[in-house]
Amino acid sequence: MVSSSEEQAETSFRVTRPQLALAGGLSLALVALFVATMPFARLPTQNTEILVPAYAAATFVLEAMTAALLFALYSARRSLPLLFLASGYLFGALMLAPWALTFPGVFTGFDINAGLQVTAAFGLLRRLAFPLFVLAFALAPRREITTSAALVAVCVCVGATVLIEVTLYFRDALPPLMRDGRQVNLLWQVVPALAMALYAVDIVLLLWFRRSALSLWVCIVLFSLGIELLLISYLGGGTRLSVGWWAGRLYGLVAMSIILLVLIAQTTLVHIRLARTVAAELRSREKRLTAMEALSASIAHEINQPLASMVTNADAALRWLSKAEPRIDKAELALRRIVEDGHRANGVVAGIRTMFTKGTRERAELDLAAIVARAAGEASRDARHYGVEIVVEGEREVPPVIGNAVQLHHVLRNLIENAVDAVRAAPLRARRVTVRLSQEPHGEVHVGVADTGAGIASEVAERLFDPFVTTKPGGMGMGLMFCRAVVEAHGGSIWASANTPHGAIFHFSLPVAILSVADAQARSGVEEKAR
Amino acid sequence: MTDAVVYVVDDDRSILASLESLLSSEGYEVRAYESPRDFLNARCPDLPGCLILDVRLRGASGLEFQRELARAGIATPIVFITGHGDVPMSVTAMKSGAVEFLLKPFRDQDLLDAVREGIARDRRRRARDAEISSLRRRQAALTPRERELMPLIASGLMNKQIAAQLQLSEATVKVHRSQIMQKLQARTLADLVRIADQLAATGPGE
Repeated sequence: MVSSSEEQAETSFRVTRPQLALAGGLSLALVALFVATMPFARLPTQNTEILVPAYAAATFVLEAMTAALLFALYSARRSLPLLFLASGYLFGALMLAPWALTFPGVFTGFDINAGLQVTAAFGLLRRLAFPLFVLAFALAPRREITTSAALVAVCVCVGATVLIEVTLYFRDALPPLMRDGRQVNLLWQVVPALAMALYAVDIVLLLWFRRSALSLWVCIVLFSLGIELLLISYLGGGTRLSVGWWAGRLYGLVAMSIILLVLIAQTTLVHIRLARTVAAELRSREKRLTAMEALSASIAHEINQPLASMVTNADAALRWLSKAEPRIDKAELALRRIVEDGHRANGVVAGIRTMFTKGTRERAELDLAAIVARAAGEASRDARHYGVEIVVEGEREVPPVIGNAVQLHHVLRNLIENAVDAVRAAPLRARRVTVRLSQEPHGEVHVGVADTGAGIASEVAERLFDPFVTTKPGGMGMGLMFCRAVVEAHGGSIWASANTPHGAIFHFSLPVAILSVADAQARSGVEEKAR
Repeated sequence: MTDAVVYVVDDDRSILASLESLLSSEGYEVRAYESPRDFLNARCPDLPGCLILDVRLRGASGLEFQRELARAGIATPIVFITGHGDVPMSVTAMKSGAVEFLLKPFRDQDLLDAVREGIARDRRRRARDAEISSLRRRQAALTPRERELMPLIASGLMNKQIAAQLQLSEATVKVHRSQIMQKLQARTLADLVRIADQLAATGPGE
C-alpha cells in the first residue's frame, strides 16, 4: 500500500501529459543531434579549452540550484531519501570546481599544475558519486527525519573538500587514467562502464521501488547522463575536447537545465497550491469561530430570557406584596411564573446537554405521532406569523419506537423550523410545510418534512448534515448535524430529497420497537441473573 | 394613574406576563402584544403612553419597528429592552429618540423610571400638539387681510408704520389689530409674538 505522504508527493509532483511530451520531444531532438554528431565525434577541436570554464560554471550553477531546491523540498517533507538526492547534486557541483581548475591548458595563467591524473580523478569521483547517491535515494527507507538540511549541506561540503585535498595530496600515487592531456588510457574505460552500469541499476531500482514523479525525473536525468557518457567516452573515443566530447557535455547541460526548470515549475505550483490550501483553511477556521461565537450568543440569549423573566416576576411579586393592601393573588401568579421560568431555563440547559453529549441514556417507548403533533403545534405558532401553514398528514397511529423524547422532539422542531424558514425565504407560492408520518414495510417508521421553498443546491446537498454547513444567512449549521447525530444514535437514518415541483423534503426513519421497554428491562434482568 | 397606557411588545410570553404584572402593580394600564403586527392592529386609546419594545423580535427587529413607527407618524416614546445589547445598537436606538435602552435582566426601578419618563415625554408632546392644533384653529378664523397683517404686528411695527406700508388708514389697522388679538386669544403683544413664533415653528397651517 502506498503511504499517505507518498500519495501526497504523488499529487504534488504529478507529471502532466504536456510535460512528458515536452521531455520526450526534447530527448528525441537531442538524440537526433547525437546521431548527427556521430560521424564527427572523434574529430578533435582546436583551442576550445577556453569554453571549459564556461561549461563548468553553467553546470555548477545548475547542479547547485537543483541541490538547493531539493534541500528545500527536504525541509518541507523531512524525507530521508530526498536528503541523499540533494547531497548527490551538491557533491557533484562541488567536484566541478577542482575538475575545471585542474583541466590541462585551461587556467594556464594561474600556473596550476596539479598533475596529469588529477582532473581525471575528479571526473571519476563526479561520475561515480552521483549514481551512488541516487542508489541511496532509491534504497533509503522512507523515514521522516529531523536533521537540519543546512547541517547536511555543510557536512557534504566538508566531505568534498577533504576528498579534494586527499586527491591532491596523493596526486602522484593516482592510477594512470590519462595517457596525455587529451587521450585516455585503457584503464579509464572502466569508469564510464562502471558509471553506466550504476545508472542502469539506479533506473531499475527507481522504477521498481518508487512510483513518485520525482523518481521518474531522476530516471530521466540518469538516462541523459548515460547518453552523455556514451558520447564522451565511446563515440568521442574518450578524447578530451573532441566534437563528441563537447556534444556529450552540451547534451548533459541541456538535459540538466530542462530538469531543473521542471523542478522549479513543479515547486512553484506546489507552493501556490499550498498557499491556497492554507488560505482556505484559515477562512474556514474563521467561519467556524464565527459560528461558535454565534452559537454561544444564541445559548446566552436562550438562558437570559427566562432569567430576565424571573427577575421581573420576582420584582412584581415583591411590589404586589409590599402594597398597603398586599395582593397575594397577583404575587402568587408571579411566583408561579418564576417556577415556570426556572423549568424553562433548565430545559434549555438540558437541551444543550442533549445536543452535545452523545448517547443519552433516558430511553422510553415513544409514540412518534404524539411527538410530531406536539412539535408541529409548537412550531405553527411562529409559522402563522409568516403566513406559513404546518400540516400533519399520514397515519395517526404508528407502532412505538424506542428513544429519547426530548431529543426526537428537538429533531422535529429543527426540521420543521428549517422548512418554515425555507418557505419564508421563497417567493410566494403555496406557503405550506407538510409533516408526513408513515409506517414502512421493513419495521420502520418514516417521517418526512416537506417544504415549498427554494430546494437544496447540489453543492451543499452532500454536506448538509456536516457541522457548520448552512444555507441560511444567519445560520450556524448546527441543527442538521445534531439531527443526524440523534437519528443515528437511535439506529435510524436521515436524508434529504427534492420536493416536486418546488422545495425539499427531509426524511428520517426510525426502527420500530420490537420489544416493549418493560420486556426489554425484564430480559436484561434475566441476562444479568444468568451471568 | 389610569390616564396613561403602557404598551409592551415582546415575543417571549413569559417576559410579557412578568412586565404586565410589574407595571400593573404600579397602577399602569398595560397592553401586551406578542408581535409588532398585533400592536399595529390594536386600537390604541388616545392617552399618553409609552412603548416597551424588545430589540430581538421574530421577523423584524425592534429597531426596524422603531423606524416603521416613526414613518407611520406614531410618536409613542419607546423604551428598549434587550437580552444581548451592544453599544452600536443602543446608540442607534437612542439617536432615533428612544427613552432608554435596558439590558435584560434589568432592575425594576430602572424600567419604571424609564416608563415614567416616557409617559411624561408623551404627555408634554400631547400638550404641545394640543396647543398647536388649538392655535391652528384660532389662526384659521383669521381673514386673509388679518393673516397678512399678523406678522407685521408680531414684528413690533407701530400701527402708523403698518398703515403706511400697506396704504391703509391707521384706524383700519387698529381695528384689524384688535380683531387679531381677540381671535388668537392674545391679551398682550407679547402673547401674540409667542403665538406667531409657535405657528411659524410648526410650519404653515393647512
